[in-house]
Amino acid sequence: MSYESPIRDLLVTGGKTYSDITKDITRPIENKPSKAWWLGFGLSSIVLAIWIFSTTYTMLVGLGAWGLNKTVGWAFDITNFVFWVGIGHAGTLISAVLLLFRQKWRMSINRSAEAMTIFAVLCAASFILSHMGRPWVAYWPIPLPNAFGSLWVNFNSPLVWDVFAISTYFSVSLVFWYVGLIPDIATVRDRATTKARKFWYGFFAMGWNGSTKVWHRYEVISLILAAISTPLVLSVHSIVSMDFATSLVPGWHTTIFPPYFVAGAIFSGFGMVLTLLVVAREVLNYKDYITSEHLDAMCRVVMLTGTLVGLAYITEFFVAAYSGVEYEQYAFLNRAFGPYGWSYWIMMGCNLVAPQVFWSKWARTTPWFIFIMSIIVNIGMWFERFVIIVTSLHRDFLPSSWSMYTPTIVEFSILLGSFGLFFFLFFLFMKFLPSINMSELKSIVKTKHALELEKHYTELLNNNHKMPQHAHETKGDSVHGH
Amino acid sequence: MDTNKVILGIYNDPDHIYDTTKKLIHDGYRVRDVYSPFAIHGMDRVLGIKRSRLTVAAFCFAMTGIVLALTLQTYASYFDWQMNVGGKPSLHIPTYIPITFELAILCTAFGMVGCFFAVNKMVWGKNADIIDIRVTDDLFVVAIDIIPNKTDVAELSSILKNNGAIEIREREFED
Repeated sequence: MSYESPIRDLLVTGGKTYSDITKDITRPIENKPSKAWWLGFGLSSIVLAIWIFSTTYTMLVGLGAWGLNKTVGWAFDITNFVFWVGIGHAGTLISAVLLLFRQKWRMSINRSAEAMTIFAVLCAASFILSHMGRPWVAYWPIPLPNAFGSLWVNFNSPLVWDVFAISTYFSVSLVFWYVGLIPDIATVRDRATTKARKFWYGFFAMGWNGSTKVWHRYEVISLILAAISTPLVLSVHSIVSMDFATSLVPGWHTTIFPPYFVAGAIFSGFGMVLTLLVVAREVLNYKDYITSEHLDAMCRVVMLTGTLVGLAYITEFFVAAYSGVEYEQYAFLNRAFGPYGWSYWIMMGCNLVAPQVFWSKWARTTPWFIFIMSIIVNIGMWFERFVIIVTSLHRDFLPSSWSMYTPTIVEFSILLGSFGLFFFLFFLFMKFLPSINMSELKSIVKTKHALELEKHYTELLNNNHKMPQHAHETKGDSVHGH
Repeated sequence: MDTNKVILGIYNDPDHIYDTTKKLIHDGYRVRDVYSPFAIHGMDRVLGIKRSRLTVAAFCFAMTGIVLALTLQTYASYFDWQMNVGGKPSLHIPTYIPITFELAILCTAFGMVGCFFAVNKMVWGKNADIIDIRVTDDLFVVAIDIIPNKTDVAELSSILKNNGAIEIREREFED
């Protein structure tokens, strides 16, 4: 059972056996957490406390605690919401889209990327709640009949579509993640030495026994879940973009928003995956599983999507110029050269220019450099949303209503705090669940038998014989290699 | 004739167990199941497992979601209480598409995964009937039914052994 891509190096290095994989991946679960883990967990708990404090403060005081005004009524909150939803997209892309395209390199990273999706969508949802000002009536966007105290929701509104899109996205991602986890939870259950671990992992393993019948159905539903998650992930950010695109505000009223937002989401999501994995592979010593091949592949995606986003920025400018509508033209000129011009150039620099370094193989395979780049990408993508939202709003239709927006310390604290929430959950995940998909990974390592065969056939090849393949590997795709 | 006694051939290589299972089925033995730490590609075909009908279930759930979403939106915004928001029409199918799409996916995912758990009899807190504890780690187990007066246990064992089994055991099933 091994897989070799003709254009890639081995995806699992270090000659790992099946039991090596089990031992390596379950190590953090079965042992006391390391100092690095405690440090990270402690730090994120402190930042989480800032989040709890600042959101509570907002709810007690009201939205007056923020820097919003009559002209810019949507700013940091929605910027952060779109930012976090975007982060989530890479997880689904890696686990669903790459599964459909049979990209084996997804296997070492899909678990943590999916976890990232779920936590990022939670962070995004927290901004929806807090920006409402009255979170205790947060159930209003749910279609409930009149008797509940309000009219039915307006199904023509993209904000209502968003409620459905985000909640579907969250719950489907959670199901996909959990189904993928079951075989690995069973592995932890069968190795458990403590009573508590035996009970809890046994509880969530749902009686998994590794039977071929179950595996067959498991593969079928994985494929269908991937097939439905792929359009789902595209729809989610398309709908998010329609929150803006269906309005009449110059700078928002753009038909290219859906694909442009999706590309941006994948771009920022991969940025975050790289941030997490470059650190995780060092701390947990997973360099044999998350190899430089994986980093290389992800950096290519970052470069591609970054360039796509850059193309969208330039297209917007072109369309504004071509439209001949002076309001549209003003909106874009103001974006680049107006009072918020600095944020526009940060966005351009981080999202279009910076990722071009990934044309170089060195840049794509040097972890510390990738780490810095991944942060730059996320700064750029945060500013993209800020630019779109604030620069479009602050020049209103009436010049008498023009104004500027400055965030308050409370808004900054909520943004900072949301990272605390995200990392708090992520550290818990790394401690309590297998952070790499063991059962998938085992299917791509070379077995002793495969290695012997390979050696044998290489010898035969040297004697000018054609290389035969193992009996069952000749049919279908070459998943099993040789 | 039904039996609940099986012989277990334990392997440490998926290629060996694949070949053995193929040979056993060819020789007319009744292979109950093969247990593995990951899906061995092609093993389901060797065992003659029919393609799962979960795909059909998925389609039905998707249709349910579509009908549900369209009914809800048409009823709420046209039949029950019409609203005039910016002069937009109350019955406007194109604006129903996003929610219909999302609900179709939601129903498919939950319905299909629910069916998956149901057919596998998987439930939270279920005690696993694990054939060998190492099967979720690094070993592969083939379970062959022993049919009284028919199965030659000695011959079967030697086939298993000769094909690379690292361990051979007998076990009773509880069903």
